[in-house]
Amino acid sequence: MSRRTWWTAVVVGCAALAVAGPKGTVPRATVERYRIHTVRDGIGVGVVLLSQEQVRKTFVSDVDRCCVVAEIALYPAKDKALEVSLNDFALRTGGTETATKAASAKLVAMSLQRKAGSGRDITVSPTVGVGYESAGYDPITGGRTGGGMTRSAGVMVGVGGSGPKAGSTDKDRAAMEIELDEKGLPEGSASAPVSGYVYFPGVSRKKGAALQIECVMNGNKVVLNLPQ
Amino acid sequence: MRSDALPLAALLLGVGLLAYPANAQSNESSSSNDARQNDSNTPGQVKGPRSPAEETAARDAEIPVEKSKIRWHLGTISVGVGYSSGPYYGPYGFYPYGPYGLYPGDWVYSSLWYPMWGGYPYYGPGSFNYNSGRGEVRLTADPKVAEVYIDGAYAGTADRLKSMWLDPGAYDLTVSAKDRESFHQRVYVLSGKSLKITAKLGSDGTKEKL
Repeated sequence: MSRRTWWTAVVVGCAALAVAGPKGTVPRATVERYRIHTVRDGIGVGVVLLSQEQVRKTFVSDVDRCCVVAEIALYPAKDKALEVSLNDFALRTGGTETATKAASAKLVAMSLQRKAGSGRDITVSPTVGVGYESAGYDPITGGRTGGGMTRSAGVMVGVGGSGPKAGSTDKDRAAMEIELDEKGLPEGSASAPVSGYVYFPGVSRKKGAALQIECVMNGNKVVLNLPQ
Repeated sequence: MRSDALPLAALLLGVGLLAYPANAQSNESSSSNDARQNDSNTPGQVKGPRSPAEETAARDAEIPVEKSKIRWHLGTISVGVGYSSGPYYGPYGFYPYGPYGLYPGDWVYSSLWYPMWGGYPYYGPGSFNYNSGRGEVRLTADPKVAEVYIDGAYAGTADRLKSMWLDPGAYDLTVSAKDRESFHQRVYVLSGKSLKITAKLGSDGTKEKL
């Protein structure tokens, strides 16, 4: 193996490790860089609520079909680790008493797979045909028949399909789970700033409805009001 | 017609005569072996007690010595039979065999290439072909001849991989070219989905300084 090939292999291997290693997103330099943020007991929380368009651009999985997605950044207090758990986050729609807890990547992926598998595909295919028929003999009368141009038009309607629907296989579910997990907020003990996406399933984004993100940080409840 | 048949018959006869002594010889050798076996097993023969060394020597002498020669063995013949309702015209051309057709090259890749590449996957011909259970990755790279690696394994040059159909999953895509910065991206492929990736490789500043 030549020296160049060795170097290429080393670089590719390192890149693969670097890409596969960290989870979540890259937190901004400070919590103040987030338009919606708060600091309590030295712990900073920054939030960005993604629009449906942003969700579509960020994810290959159709997360916008089922969830409201928010990017949450956490900045632990100096010299004090912070325990991060998805159970500590909830989304509340203004004026309602119910709050939705953040869902794990596995749960969201299962939900998306089920949604992709449901429904019915209907395919409509218009057909147009133009042909030329040469002269021949009529099999009944034996007489010579005239040829000429033939024209046909029609519509084919297909319901369902023989193959699996897009995004509905088990492999798709596994791929969606990997994507959502790798881009999601990393759980566990954090001694440095962490950020990632948090998924709130089953929340309808009604126009004008205020949304609030509630999170519990080291026993303290923090509420962040999101823009409408 | 008759004039052609006579030389042909003579030729066949000649071949038959030449072949006969060889067959006869082989039959003889086998019959002599049988005879020797019969001799050793003949009842009623009284032999004196032998020492262990003599026993071994006698046993070795009974083993027929084989002449070194090339042996031709016919291995397992694998024949695949399939049914296809008609030729399939995919977006990438015409495939004469159906999904159950005979692919004589498959075992070559699996038996020869995989051990050489170890843990890395091997992307052989047809690895990125269209399949209904796959998703598409449309790659545009600058320069066009940049090398493309998927999960660390070389997949080809970018100009030949404008459209790749991959099984659903997560992949590490790397595009690299000489004297250019490498492009890395984690890609997620879902069946029936198309993902567009533009890889513009910047110039490698460190190499330029050198």
